[in-house]
Amino acid sequence: MRSRIAADRLRDLESITDAALAYLPMEELLKELLARVVAILAVDTSAILLLEDDDTTLVARAAKGLEEEVERGVRIPVGRGFAGRIAATRRPVRIFNIDEFEVVNPILREKGLRSLLGVPLLVEGSVIGVLHVGTLTPRAFDDEDVQLLQRAADRAALAIFSRLAERERALADALQRSLAPRLPVLPGVEFTGRYLPAAAARLGGDWYDVFQLPDGRLGMAIGDVVGRGFHAAAIMGQLRSAMRAFALDAASPSLVLERLSRLLRQLEIGRTATLVYLTLDPHGGMLRLASAGHPPPLVDPQDGEPWFVELGGSVPLGATRHVRYDDVELTLEPGAALVLYTDGLVERPGESLDDGLQRLARVVGGSDEDLEHLGDLLVDEMLPEGTGDDDAALLMARALPLSDRLVAEFPAEVESIPLMRRMLGRWLADAGATRADVDDLTLAAAEACANAIEHAYGLAPGIVQVRAWSPDGTEVKVAIQDFGNWRAPRGANRGRGLVLMEGLTDEVDVVRGDEGTTVELTRRIGAVAA
Amino acid sequence: MSEQPSPRVEYRDAVGVVSVAGEVDIIQAHALRDRLLGAVRNEDLGLVVDLSEATYIDSVGVSLLFELAERLGERQLKLAVVLPEDGLVERVLTMVHLRSVADVQPTVDAALSAIST
Repeated sequence: MRSRIAADRLRDLESITDAALAYLPMEELLKELLARVVAILAVDTSAILLLEDDDTTLVARAAKGLEEEVERGVRIPVGRGFAGRIAATRRPVRIFNIDEFEVVNPILREKGLRSLLGVPLLVEGSVIGVLHVGTLTPRAFDDEDVQLLQRAADRAALAIFSRLAERERALADALQRSLAPRLPVLPGVEFTGRYLPAAAARLGGDWYDVFQLPDGRLGMAIGDVVGRGFHAAAIMGQLRSAMRAFALDAASPSLVLERLSRLLRQLEIGRTATLVYLTLDPHGGMLRLASAGHPPPLVDPQDGEPWFVELGGSVPLGATRHVRYDDVELTLEPGAALVLYTDGLVERPGESLDDGLQRLARVVGGSDEDLEHLGDLLVDEMLPEGTGDDDAALLMARALPLSDRLVAEFPAEVESIPLMRRMLGRWLADAGATRADVDDLTLAAAEACANAIEHAYGLAPGIVQVRAWSPDGTEVKVAIQDFGNWRAPRGANRGRGLVLMEGLTDEVDVVRGDEGTTVELTRRIGAVAA
Repeated sequence: MSEQPSPRVEYRDAVGVVSVAGEVDIIQAHALRDRLLGAVRNEDLGLVVDLSEATYIDSVGVSLLFELAERLGERQLKLAVVLPEDGLVERVLTMVHLRSVADVQPTVDAALSAIST
């Protein structure tokens, strides 16, 4: 009799992984699993708690007869109480009389449970959660009960783990897509970035970012939050936003890093991140960099061997309470590329970091490819078998010589003006303009842009196009065109703007056409202007 | 062409001295306006705006100085502006005849004595 029942129970257990369950979404799967466990073991309640990413907390995810546990989002610290002890010891726990045991979760008592049995959910020896059952009348769970529940838990654990991995992969993809920055498209400097999720499909903490600063320079960052999973990814998202906020009004990259480090310690003591932040002046290629324990950026000059930027020893963000970082300045000459990356790109199991860095320099130095192709090449050569346990990120910039004729478009926003000035200034310097020529013409062009922004489009978004050319080498023409409806400039600023344009150039022509308004500025440059 | 203006305000007796370095442009002018207007105390004789370390000024920055002169004039206060010897800021402020509304001086000390006399 007893053996027949045991056989039935075992057969029922097999049903826990039958085909029908394979396609259920996570919540349905857990519910169905619990219903079967309740029937097989003839108990009154059952519940599944899963371990959070931080490995210190169990959270109720599904319950039968104990639905409040899920509704209230019960959280149990690992090591404490009934479920906490199971997770900490990775061994089953039997409780005959609940009154004689320290139970953390009040719901167990409120529901009038008398006896409990719980087992760990294990995948490859690691705890991912706890499965427990309970009865409203006292019951001495025997060894067979324990074995049955553990076998049910083993099957459940695998099903849950694959669902979690799938969900995490989808979330990782969505998160990375939403965080991938829109790289600026500018004359004079080009960018490309790559993000490669870990093969294990666990959320990673790598990211990169490029953004425009209020004074027209560009901010570039690449970083790596230590750790994996949702939690590391959430910290990464917070650091990324804070980085942009701090960068807006910090005087130097080192100050941005110092603030970020303080913020990280406030978010989570013990969490660290490595990061390189730099500002790049598209006019002249001046770089200011600071690093917090990150692998060194690589510079690939147009002629000559690639070299790593010496940033000195620095500690990761969040590692110590009082931290100071240093700025390093260098110039990115036209044609030179700057390569930022995370350790996931250069590290291979059983190989030193140095070997990885040398391989990176070799691949970069041996390539004449354009930046996009170099990005693809680096991914192929550095990670021929794809990523491993770690994710990887790559961000590159190359300073380009500006062509004889400058054509650049900017959003018709005031924020575009500083960037336009830098771009035009660099082109003018290349064209042989003196400092005074550059200053005067960029200011005159900035006034023309401000006119176009304030008057051509109203509140609608638009584009301002700036063109510059030198007809004969002694004279420069700068045309600022909008594509909106013309209306007379208003207000004291714009009146003065016109005075400045006329005073700072030799000639100002305003042409109103069907396609918008063009302001053309002409000025002699170089020694002949004086 | 990099640092943003961080106006420094100090007082020499009954005159405030605001030092503005870097770029006075359409982006920075709004915050600067509040700092300049806020620097004038009721008992002051006038205000010195020291632009000797300024590297750029656009029409919005110019208008800000004219507005400041007008506001101070309404209160019988004087405005003195210290300009760099040459360069863009000096060229621009000469071009718009800043001298018509403010006392333009080469140094802070000269500006202070211009206001106090």
